Amino acid sequence: MNGLTLENLYFAYDSSALTLENINLAIPAGQFVTLLGSSGCGKSTLLRLLAGLQAPTRGRLAWHGEPISGPSLERGIVFQDYALFPWMSVVDNIAIAIGKARPATPRAARREEAAAYLEKVGLASAIGKYPFELSGGMRQRAAIARALALGSPLLLMDEPFGALDPVNRARLQDLLLEIRESSTPRKTFVFVTHDVDEALYLSERVVILGSSPGRVIADLPVDFPQHHDRRALLTSDAFHALRESVAETLAADTLQRLSSVPAAA
Amino acid sequence: MSEAIAMDDPFRDPAASQASPRIPARRRLVRALESFSIWIALFFVWMLAAEYLPLGDNPLIPSPALTFAALQESLPELWKGTISSFCILIPGFFLASAAGIAFGLAVGASVRLQRIFFPFARVAAPVPPTVYIPYAIAILPTFRLSAIFVVFIGAFWPVFHNTAAGAASLEQRYRDNAAILGLKGFEYHWRVALPATLPHVFSGMGVGLAFSFVLLTVAELFGANAGLGRFVQFYADYADYPRMVAGILYTGLITWLSMSLLEKARHRALFWLR
Repeated sequence: MNGLTLENLYFAYDSSALTLENINLAIPAGQFVTLLGSSGCGKSTLLRLLAGLQAPTRGRLAWHGEPISGPSLERGIVFQDYALFPWMSVVDNIAIAIGKARPATPRAARREEAAAYLEKVGLASAIGKYPFELSGGMRQRAAIARALALGSPLLLMDEPFGALDPVNRARLQDLLLEIRESSTPRKTFVFVTHDVDEALYLSERVVILGSSPGRVIADLPVDFPQHHDRRALLTSDAFHALRESVAETLAADTLQRLSSVPAAA
Repeated sequence: MSEAIAMDDPFRDPAASQASPRIPARRRLVRALESFSIWIALFFVWMLAAEYLPLGDNPLIPSPALTFAALQESLPELWKGTISSFCILIPGFFLASAAGIAFGLAVGASVRLQRIFFPFARVAAPVPPTVYIPYAIAILPTFRLSAIFVVFIGAFWPVFHNTAAGAASLEQRYRDNAAILGLKGFEYHWRVALPATLPHVFSGMGVGLAFSFVLLTVAELFGANAGLGRFVQFYADYADYPRMVAGILYTGLITWLSMSLLEKARHRALFWLR
């Protein structure tokens, strides 16, 4: 099948507790999916499984029908706060990714190409700088540039804008949508967040994970007429209705978890 | 970010960066004096002791004036001694650092190598390298080679231990990042593990260098015909205390300069941590 397939997926860090329980999802190529859930529900773990950084305890995980058995340049990932090596300049961070993705590219051309990706994300001024010289928003832009430079058709994003202020967050969300619109064929996105607005604004589909253990409790299509027009969307009734129902689902899960804590202890 | 501003001058004294223009000149002077206060106090104690302690004709405590005269006179000999000592220290210390870093990175990255190496290291590392000196002199063809060997052994363990510990506790995010990019083998060690472990490497090298000086001067007591430790021992044998004290002061200065040089290298290599 074309896209991501997750079948009867289980994961446990140790034998005492399940982190993920029986996850079944089919994500067609080109779809933008967000995984939404409260902190600790296992959504980041699920993303690590998709990246191949961790192997599932049980179940099947495949991309385009090929089982996922380890990290691959097919699947780029952007973490919340640390996608770059602090001892390399921003352009070198991206050049090293290009070197791995397309080893035939000569060294000088790698840096040129890296600079072009940085320009694409609005970071032309930061090319020779080091990550510690950049603001959080600029670092995330650079991280996105690196993921793009890898040329991965599937992009995994683990709360990439979680540490940003609202203005930067909105700008980067729009940058992401621009990238998505301009890529051919369309890239597939699996985007982890706990921000309901972000999920609804960005994605075509929201998968809500319940906690302890993490499992799919809702799988909703997001189909607004004015999708990606921020102002129109935020003031539309359809948006608010969906937002309300998503928030209620999340709240119910949180309440259930809280009430089950004393019983477990 | 204030750290970014401090980047302009990586060699600035940490004490100097506190002296912002808003602090009045008098307080700055007091602060500067504070950091020299123990030196000043010791100097006065030395001066008074040399002057007033009844020590006979060949005083064990030569006066500062006598000592500095002896220092000036001995400078050519001390300089030769420095070169001789550094011909032992530099190869010993740098070979130990290179080996310690290479082995440390390899062992730190592999649980299997840890199982093989650590039981041996736990026993071998604490053995004081000074006990090898007589045997090394007996086995190796020249004194210099045996001294290099002893310095090597002494500096190797701290560098190895720190590097291995650092590489073993490499942050998950760097591992993840390297795994995503498919960095493996030499490329992984060179571009990820080594830079990430550098803070540990430098603390190991700092301990290793200080220990190298200890071992160097001790080794020189055994059989050298030149060198810093040899200089002090030689004039002590002849009860020439002004020269002996001058030798101690000079050795202290050289040690301090060497440590400062390493500190500067550390500061420059770890620019991304500030």
